[in-house]
Amino acid sequence: MSEHYNRGAITLHWVTAALIVANLLLGLSMVALPVSPRKLHWYLFHKSIGITIFLLTSLRIAWRTIRPHPAPVPMPPWQRRAARASHALLYVLLFVIPLSGWLYSSATGVQVVYLGVVPLPDLVGKDKALGDALRIVHVSLNACLFALVVVHVVAAIKHHFIDRDTVLVRMLPIVKAPGIVRP
Amino acid sequence: MSGSRILPGALGALAFLAAGVVHADSVVAEKSEIDFTLKAMGVKFDGRFRKWKADVFFQPKALATSTAAIDVDLGSVDLASSESETEAKGPLWFDTAKFPVAHFASTSIRDLGGDRYEVTGKLMLKGITHDCAVPLTVSTDAAGNRVAEGTFSLKRLDYRIGEGEWADTATVDNDILVHVRMVLKPTG
Repeated sequence: MSEHYNRGAITLHWVTAALIVANLLLGLSMVALPVSPRKLHWYLFHKSIGITIFLLTSLRIAWRTIRPHPAPVPMPPWQRRAARASHALLYVLLFVIPLSGWLYSSATGVQVVYLGVVPLPDLVGKDKALGDALRIVHVSLNACLFALVVVHVVAAIKHHFIDRDTVLVRMLPIVKAPGIVRP
Repeated sequence: MSGSRILPGALGALAFLAAGVVHADSVVAEKSEIDFTLKAMGVKFDGRFRKWKADVFFQPKALATSTAAIDVDLGSVDLASSESETEAKGPLWFDTAKFPVAHFASTSIRDLGGDRYEVTGKLMLKGITHDCAVPLTVSTDAAGNRVAEGTFSLKRLDYRIGEGEWADTATVDNDILVHVRMVLKPTG
């Protein structure tokens, strides 16, 4: 018998997942746009979503200390270690990627204004060489995130269809698998 | 002979030119700047012009004969990225192919008291001329140069700067803050 994740954790997980996918697509599309009002809007959305992911991840960390996750589903120790490591790395990336984007924006001389309303302080001064370097950092970190998300999704599917355990189901918002307890 | 009549005329012209040279302040270009800030959806974008030419004669005690004329090479615009610069030079913004230079010529300079002055004049930008008032604060730097510095708000749509898809002020504010700093080495 294993426990379902709590509603707060499930909500934060899926909202973050949706924002990550949206922002990866938005980031890739916006850079290809010609300079236009649409491009400015998309950059504003991209940066605002990024900061939102940072905030939601902070909230998740706080939430899981108040409402701990259920005990892991039984699985071989190497899989448990791999899951723990990849989850930790995902959290790290969800903090570091928005920060790298914010740094990059500052270095190009463009202040980040959250939701077009809340101006955030510039983290570094305008510096073209630094900006070019940070762009590479931001893009590379996102490539890592993308790879890790693929591993995360493949692992969840593998657990569900091959191992036939509750790893995936206990994170789903609506489905209630037999033998699973919703807290 | 006609030569005897030409010579005094030529000398007179030379003297006049010389007087003109004496009267123009020399602008210390590397310490001077013309830059601007525009705001798009709450985000500020800074830019400046790399190339411009200023003919300034400023005498606080002789404001009636003081003048300022500035030519700005719009193609020298410096923005955050080269693709923004290309857009700024394009037909929707400065349209530098047709209007390469912005020109300002003062018509009067007024003393506002306390080292503050107001320069009024005509600004021609993108083939459109409007009256323009620039408030300046004048000080003296360590090297004894006269520093005139001020900021004024330019309504970009008055000059058709940012047309078409850019015309909506919900995206890009109509007000562009232009900052001018002229460091003058007085010769008079």
